[in-house]
Amino acid sequence: MPARSTSPAAPPAAPPPAPLTSETCDPLPLTPRREDIYRCLGYARRAAPPADVAREIDRVVAEALPHLQPRGTYSLYPLDGPTEHSLAIGGLVLEGNIGEFLHGATRVAVFVATAGGAITRRADERCRAGDAFAGWVLDAIGSWAAEAAAEALLARLDPHLQPDEGRTLPYSPGYCGMELAEQRKLFRLMRADAAGVALLPSLLMEPLKSVSGLVGLGPRALVRTDLTPCDRCPLVGCHMRR
Amino acid sequence: MYDFSKLRAAVLAGRAPDATAAARDALAAAVDPVEMVTAAIGPAMDEVGRLYEAGEYFVPELLLSARATKEVFQLIRPLLAQRGAKPTGRVVLGTVQGDLHDIGKNLVAAMLEGSGFEVIDLGVNVAPQKFVAAITEKQAQIVGLSALLTTTMPAMKTTLEALRAAGIRDRVKVIIGGAPVTPAFARSIGADAYGENAAVAVDLARRLVAP
Repeated sequence: MPARSTSPAAPPAAPPPAPLTSETCDPLPLTPRREDIYRCLGYARRAAPPADVAREIDRVVAEALPHLQPRGTYSLYPLDGPTEHSLAIGGLVLEGNIGEFLHGATRVAVFVATAGGAITRRADERCRAGDAFAGWVLDAIGSWAAEAAAEALLARLDPHLQPDEGRTLPYSPGYCGMELAEQRKLFRLMRADAAGVALLPSLLMEPLKSVSGLVGLGPRALVRTDLTPCDRCPLVGCHMRR
Repeated sequence: MYDFSKLRAAVLAGRAPDATAAARDALAAAVDPVEMVTAAIGPAMDEVGRLYEAGEYFVPELLLSARATKEVFQLIRPLLAQRGAKPTGRVVLGTVQGDLHDIGKNLVAAMLEGSGFEVIDLGVNVAPQKFVAAITEKQAQIVGLSALLTTTMPAMKTTLEALRAAGIRDRVKVIIGGAPVTPAFARSIGADAYGENAAVAVDLARRLVAP
């Protein structure tokens, strides 16, 4: 019989603080524009594929649309004075440059948005059936839809802004400013399950095409509405650099 | 010499039906399928890769061309086998343990197949021992490891350690890739090469299997 442990059990984690407000949107409106789709497929701004390639892309876009299930949720919290290297939301401290990105903000929205799982399943089916082109385009549309769902969700914050206030860009764990592991803290601060999103032990979100992060709200004179994580990131060769 | 211009043009434009039709015409004219690969498909895919690196082609064009060549290879593979022609090389591909992203890997697989490689795709969340087993069973010359998260990149190192423990590290070349992967990381874990994108990965694979 194994010896019974005599060390005291770790105290349970304190419950997360109550947010100022929360909102779940299902569905979120998406308006795919051709130039957005081409950009998500890697075409440079204002570049377009040749006509026969465009026709192939259009066919897959038509196939993708019924498989998109955009939805999301956010929780809004007061912000306890971010420092350059950390950010406190209620009792939880997020480490990293994120404090700099949210400097000046008086409230922070923790959010997650998703394109849903069906688009990834469809992309997988097409790849397994041997059509890597359709699979890749479907996957890229899923990525676009997750970002577009996040934009549509964050627009729902605008009614919470005072006339002289603005909001920062969204910042996500895993990019410059927040280690990916901080994702766990974000998920404690919102009801991601209400948007159908779960966090796996590997820190992947399920559905795969999901975006989570923070957005700061505060006086327009103080918050940085244009500071991207790329401005502080050492990976100059990153293909996603803005 | 047979005029392969229609086949080359169809592959370059990613028009699979036209490529297959041109291949059938060539076979009907008693063209050696090996010559079809060396004189038409190979050079066309090299040009596709060059156009991609030059920023004139993008991933959709790469994949349409790869689809065209894949369909031609499906037509001529039995004939190539009859002549004793072997694939350009044999590659085991997989996304490492703990990671579920596969689209980048699928792109590499499509490009490798379009360039005449035999690809054994193990899928996602692949345990190190599964890589070992596949490399051993298929006598692969190359293994490609993909990871898209900083938290799953360490599994690339674990996989290499498994290859060493199994005594097969020296028998296989290791290429790694994925958005957070860097050349420095590849060097630090002892990989043979870092594949920045699918076109580069194909070029690397060809050089690594060259005698």
